[in-house]
Amino acid sequence: MDIFAGLATVLSDPALLGWVFLAAIVGMIVGAIPGLTASAAIAMLLPLTFYMDPLPALAFLYVIGKSGRYGGSIAAILFNTPGTAASAATQLDGYPLARQGKAGKAMKVATISSVIGDFTGEILLIVGVAWIASIALKLGPPELFAVYFAAFIVIGSVIGKSVTRGLASAALGVLVAMIGLDPISSTERFTFGSFDLTNGISLVPLMIGIFVLGEVFTQIEERGVKAEMMPTGESDADRNGLTWAEYRPCMPHVIRSSFIGAFIGMLPGLGSAIAAFVAYGEGKRRAKNPDKWGQGALEGVAAPEAANNAVSGPSMAPLLTLGIPGSTIGAILIGVFLIHGIQIGPTMFLTSRDLVFSLFACGLIGIVMYGVIGYFGAAYVGRFITRIPTQVLYPIIFLTSFVAAYTSRGNLFDVYVMVAAGFAGWAMRKLDFNPAAFVISFVLASGAEETFRQALLLSDNGLMIFVTRPIALAFLLIGFAALFVRIRSVHKQARSVALRDA
Amino acid sequence: MALIAIGIGATVTSMGIGLDQYGRWGARFFPLAGSISLILLGIAELYGARPSQPSDRKHLPAILALLLLSVAYVWSISAVGYLFSTALAAPLVLYIFGVRNRIGLCAAAVLCPAIYHAVFFVALGVFPPFGRWFDLLDVLGGY
Repeated sequence: MDIFAGLATVLSDPALLGWVFLAAIVGMIVGAIPGLTASAAIAMLLPLTFYMDPLPALAFLYVIGKSGRYGGSIAAILFNTPGTAASAATQLDGYPLARQGKAGKAMKVATISSVIGDFTGEILLIVGVAWIASIALKLGPPELFAVYFAAFIVIGSVIGKSVTRGLASAALGVLVAMIGLDPISSTERFTFGSFDLTNGISLVPLMIGIFVLGEVFTQIEERGVKAEMMPTGESDADRNGLTWAEYRPCMPHVIRSSFIGAFIGMLPGLGSAIAAFVAYGEGKRRAKNPDKWGQGALEGVAAPEAANNAVSGPSMAPLLTLGIPGSTIGAILIGVFLIHGIQIGPTMFLTSRDLVFSLFACGLIGIVMYGVIGYFGAAYVGRFITRIPTQVLYPIIFLTSFVAAYTSRGNLFDVYVMVAAGFAGWAMRKLDFNPAAFVISFVLASGAEETFRQALLLSDNGLMIFVTRPIALAFLLIGFAALFVRIRSVHKQARSVALRDA
Repeated sequence: MALIAIGIGATVTSMGIGLDQYGRWGARFFPLAGSISLILLGIAELYGARPSQPSDRKHLPAILALLLLSVAYVWSISAVGYLFSTALAAPLVLYIFGVRNRIGLCAAAVLCPAIYHAVFFVALGVFPPFGRWFDLLDVLGGY
């Protein structure tokens, strides 16, 4: 019932609808620009939302995240370059379709599938989130620490190519989060006598550095490379129109992939790229025409697109119920909640219930908006992107990142932090470390430390409390199991590559 | 090796973190756990290291130029204020990205500081960073 009240609130507020509409367009464009991600756009725009009311601010950034995931498919189909990592699987069949002169048809399939996937995820979130929050309220510090621990291990080991480098990125995130005064004893940690460091490293400049300035550094290597757009063939109605008979075979894949995406979305750190590839693999395994997949099958576009958008809603569940961001976008949204004085966690459903459900309503309306804009205008977005000169775009982003980092606290030290984080973000990408694991761990560290120390106080400094409480033990085992499975799969891949080479 | 070195440095620093009033390690636990994890992961990396392909260094000068510009830009904001430093940084970053049109570079030197100043410091009301030595806003008459 709360969601209907939320929908009424949003639909009766034209200004809020305007923000959602703007976010749908901005997200789509940003997602479709190869190299620029929704996370980067959200990090850059975050300081602007400090001056907005909480609901428009959150809705604006939340819908950019949704629309950005969809926008990646436009670049994957038209330019053979995924706009986001999540749309790399879409490229496998999307680009062959574009080469056959069916880019318009592929984009329509991507749009409808994204909308269905996103709706499924959002509705599962709306139905399940309050239930998860009521369970989360019953968890004590040992259980919560075990959840954090499992999240660290999953985020560090599963994202990225290397398990050790992913975990090292997470450990580095924890160390950087420790800079400043200890919140309990006020002891200085890693400050090296610097007054600026006693306040700790602020989340906003760190994220702007990692996701925005880091991307600018990366884009220097792409200077002069121009994206070639395949003709969309909008005038060829036979090839680019989409009939129900054509879309019907996609429906089972879309439904299955939506649930795969929603399930993966609930697990912290896995994200939409993994969901898209799992859904693509599962779809191909169950397809009646598996040999056509990879050569321009519409189902091969529908499955990953439904899955990567279905991640969006459920990835908010660990954030809203436990304060654990399931994705980089979730980590950035924590900044907005904190700036507006909203405490994230299970109590949020008692203190800010209206706000949460209004945010979900904005998400639903945002899906409709990007769906309509995408269905009729994706080709125009593609054409618009080819006209954006990247040698001007990235310098503008460079300059904006400096003023955005300064705006967060009005402090030039934050801008130095942003520059350092930007260079570190570029270096991490180059060396196969994982910037997303670094940032999410940075966000998780303070909560994990707090619950760990509370648990030790409860047990009078005995570590056995984490083993004797069954839920805590279960989450610790989940963490280790995830690590074990991941190491095994990496070894298996390495072995099969070695056998192929031999 | 870098991971191990950072881990050892962080471990030594972590051991220097003061104990609480009851002599407990509370504030040390997490920094120490992170540092030791880094050492162990560094050793695991070293153990499983494979010969890596030589990295492409063609763009390194441009990247270092951008890094230098970034640091100099922040420092110059604190020294000569936002407007003047942005007027210098805007054409330089465009040049690094390959823009060679002189009129475009000159336009960027004027338009970028003006637009960012109007959006952030006038429309949003953020207090601008004033220069220690000199600030164009003093000459132009405030903001």
